[in-house]
Amino acid sequence: MSDEAELPPAPAVAGTSLDGTKIFTITAEENAALCRSTGIEPAADGTAHPIYYYIATQVAMGKTVAGVCETCEFDVDDGPMMGSSGVKFSRPMKVGESYKVTGEILGLVRKRSRKLGVMDVLTYRLRLNTLDGEQVLETDNVWVLPRKELA
Amino acid sequence: MSYAVGDALPPFVIESVSTEAMKQWAVFLADPNPIHLDVEVVKAKGLGDRVINQGPINVAYMMNMLFAAFPGCRIEVMDSRFLDNVYGADKAIANGTITAIDGNRIDCELTLTVEGRGVVNSGTATITV
Repeated sequence: MSDEAELPPAPAVAGTSLDGTKIFTITAEENAALCRSTGIEPAADGTAHPIYYYIATQVAMGKTVAGVCETCEFDVDDGPMMGSSGVKFSRPMKVGESYKVTGEILGLVRKRSRKLGVMDVLTYRLRLNTLDGEQVLETDNVWVLPRKELA
Repeated sequence: MSYAVGDALPPFVIESVSTEAMKQWAVFLADPNPIHLDVEVVKAKGLGDRVINQGPINVAYMMNMLFAAFPGCRIEVMDSRFLDNVYGADKAIANGTITAIDGNRIDCELTLTVEGRGVVNSGTATITV
């Protein structure tokens, strides 16, 4: 029996919907401020900084960060950590364009690590769509949720 | 402009990671996590003695490096791994290397390094030029 098999199971959250109802619009003012905060000027062709893939999907998904943690029976104050983030763009995001988000939790896997002790690895997928339903991007994010109480 | 596999891309250097930018990003992300805003919270959690940059900003630095190296490029795919924290006032350097070229599509390996602490983010990207 593996060490992980002796741990209590992680909450069964795979399939939980993260579909959002909020409409997210990238304004020219915010895009300019964001670009300058990272050390570049905004693009002149109307495209938004591509890091909006993360911002737009996080802000407009159907749960807050704290809400996602709560779904995983994890207190956001215990410090979720970003593990990885991937994105596939169908096309660039545009300043002035409005978007909605669909998505779901793909999995929550309990593991033991030398560095963090027991942790749950959360993977979720979000899609950013125009209000007409055109998919602009898909992103998979992985968070690490340290389970200090199980260490 | 010509490119070749193995070419190192010009680094994108952030001389001093801005704590003011972290305040802006708390608004952009609608996420007022105090580890990005209040050094006393960072200390109390045992995470260091400076506020911690939001992870997506570190990804943005690597994206900016690609835009500087390939003006007008489009990012098609990008993956990033978060290996360590970036703190306020850190000097951070985004680097990249070309790993494959297929027509106007270029694959790159990416890193973000903090002076004195090594690689804090790594990743890959496919861009079109």
